[in-house]
Amino acid sequence: MDPFTYLIPSLLNQEKVQKKLPAIRHYQLALDSGEKQKGLLLDTFDAKLRQSNQLLFQAGTMLSLYELKTGQMFEQTASEDWAFPADLEPGPVSSRLLQVSRLRAFLPVAGVTFSLGHGSLLDDEGKTRVRLVHLFISCRQRSVGIGCTQYLRGYDQAHEDLRLALEETGAVFCRDVGVVFDVLGIKQEIYTAKPKVALNPDAPVKQSARKIIRSFLRIARRNEKGLVADYDTEFLHDYRVSLRKVRSVLSLFKGVFSPEQTDQLKKNFASLMQKTNALRDLDVYLLNRSQYFDLVPADTHEGLEILFRYFEGERQKEQKQVSRVLKSKEYQNEIDRLKKMFADGSSLPSGPRGEEKSFEFACGLVKKRYDKVCKIARAIDDQSEDSVVHRLRIQCKKLRYLLEFFAPLFPEDESKSLIIALKQLQDNLGNFNDYSVQQRFLRQVLNNTIPDFNGREIKVAESIGALTTMLHRLQWKERRQVMKNFARFDSPEVHTIVTKLFNIEGSENENNCLL
Amino acid sequence: MKIIACYSNKGGVGKTATAVNLAYASAIKGRRTLLCDLDPQGASGFYFRVKPSKKLVKTAFFRDVQGLIHAIRASDFDNLDLLPANLTYRDFDIFLSRMKNGRSRLKKALRKVDNDYDVIILDCPPNISLLSENVFKTADKIVVPIIPTTLSVRTFEQLNSFFKTNEYQRKKLLPFFSMVQKSKKLHKDTMATLRKSYKSLLRNYIPFSTEIERMGLHRAPVLTYAGKDSAANIYGQIWQEIEEKAKIGW
Repeated sequence: MDPFTYLIPSLLNQEKVQKKLPAIRHYQLALDSGEKQKGLLLDTFDAKLRQSNQLLFQAGTMLSLYELKTGQMFEQTASEDWAFPADLEPGPVSSRLLQVSRLRAFLPVAGVTFSLGHGSLLDDEGKTRVRLVHLFISCRQRSVGIGCTQYLRGYDQAHEDLRLALEETGAVFCRDVGVVFDVLGIKQEIYTAKPKVALNPDAPVKQSARKIIRSFLRIARRNEKGLVADYDTEFLHDYRVSLRKVRSVLSLFKGVFSPEQTDQLKKNFASLMQKTNALRDLDVYLLNRSQYFDLVPADTHEGLEILFRYFEGERQKEQKQVSRVLKSKEYQNEIDRLKKMFADGSSLPSGPRGEEKSFEFACGLVKKRYDKVCKIARAIDDQSEDSVVHRLRIQCKKLRYLLEFFAPLFPEDESKSLIIALKQLQDNLGNFNDYSVQQRFLRQVLNNTIPDFNGREIKVAESIGALTTMLHRLQWKERRQVMKNFARFDSPEVHTIVTKLFNIEGSENENNCLL
Repeated sequence: MKIIACYSNKGGVGKTATAVNLAYASAIKGRRTLLCDLDPQGASGFYFRVKPSKKLVKTAFFRDVQGLIHAIRASDFDNLDLLPANLTYRDFDIFLSRMKNGRSRLKKALRKVDNDYDVIILDCPPNISLLSENVFKTADKIVVPIIPTTLSVRTFEQLNSFFKTNEYQRKKLLPFFSMVQKSKKLHKDTMATLRKSYKSLLRNYIPFSTEIERMGLHRAPVLTYAGKDSAANIYGQIWQEIEEKAKIGW
């Protein structure tokens, strides 16, 4: 039997519930209201806990995680300055938070007081027939009670009796943290790095392009604060992905804006992103720290330790540098200027294709990119140069972005299935590229900064050597998967969907013979 | 799943207290445990404050699997459920054979409600009947409480020879001393003598304890109200021995 998970917008009044229980059954409701605690409600920037309908409280050094669906409360101690699940000792809360998010910091959402009470519905013999968990939360002047019944086997009637009594005293079914926040007046803006931008198929493509760019600029800007505060590495990641998408629109939507303007804008955005390149490289290194240590023999760990300490120092410097840039007037003016430019559009002269209908433009673009991916991939064999694989990766990424940008113009299921079909190949190519970038980065350290490791150059150089060897091996492994993964993507099902979705009249070209 | 029977062919030896407290000991170790009250005079249900439902009084209600499942009641403790008394021999026969058979509808039905049990403890009636013979055949181990007195020992010896005569597996029998008063010379001597003849006797024994006697007042397993250092804790140690002998693993 499903538990009754409820919300009561007021205090749970034991006497009132007792009165609503059928007298004939001689029930007794026992309820303790629990100890009141003052603390903080925490969540990630992208509201992962809210979306999974869990509430995380920190009161002093006690961390409590409440699951709305089951009414279970998990507890463990934590230092007051923890931010990531990995900072916590292994325990019932940390293991659950690890499943929610490994990379995102858990940040304060609101200051609250809360208390967890337990109740039992007893029969005239003192036997428990239903259990009840009740969580009372207040935030400023508002408060809410949420709870969950626990059905005990064989006592269906008692469970039903209690459910009805609770409903008669104002309880409503609720498993949604969003509703709890609404009642408490907690405003938490929902953030997603992948917004759905509604597009009109008949609208001029210039208008759609502006809309997509505006949306990603907004995402980039929403990450600035967290990036400056350095809460977690995802702020920078999302910031960069958003700007990269803006750049992709500019370069992929050829002829939509005037060529001069497009070139200038591409330079502007490239320059914004370029300032964060080094920080992201260092983030990737530091995030993979334990993986790298596992990769190389133990006798090179000492050198790796020195290298990572160096990376940490460099990261701190880079982070400060990026923060300084983002806080600068110059940056603020530039990003405001770009934002305004895409907002009103009057200062954006149209290119030769700017007035084409979005839908037709989209079909042509996706189809062309798809054909290009197929052409490159089919020519790849064991002997192909790595540069060809890199070209394939770039084309795949462009195709993915196009599918994502234009997804609202096509049936959701089909465009989603294309993105999924592409994913495995893309992950494979992404790993291939990451390993290659990481080796290049290590080579740079070896060439440029090795003298800085005063007296420990050999140890560091050894560890770089070992790590480079292993990364090269991993890259090679990924390389061998590419043909297999492409063959999987290159299926009749995918061809059918592409033809159906994007092969509009007149857009066929000679590449179709590959299908 | 293992079936552990609590059996004695003599009444008043602390059999029901044993079944109740062992079931609780099993449950607090995290094993999903079902205690079956097969003794019409027994009081397992009483100790857990579980009232047999009106339906249960009617005869032949266990004819189908659903009937059996509906008769199971959750106790007030995690991992511990109860099948209240009033099973007829016929019901029990169905119950036991189906419990043993992994492909039976009963097992499947239990699995469906996420309640496939790890341990089933049977509180058996104190006689040798068709029902108890079925228990002898089906149970993995049979725990037999013995008060270290002449009469009690004699009944255990009778049980032992009954097993021998009827070719039941005697190694299933796990006797242990119950209601022991160490101050009594008779108890001490009897224990020493019997330990020589029965190697299968459990190492731990239950001392005579007012705390255990008061179970009827508290209507709960003794460990829930008596301190952990008391006699109550011995049930945990006895359960540990049973787990080892019955090879109840994780």
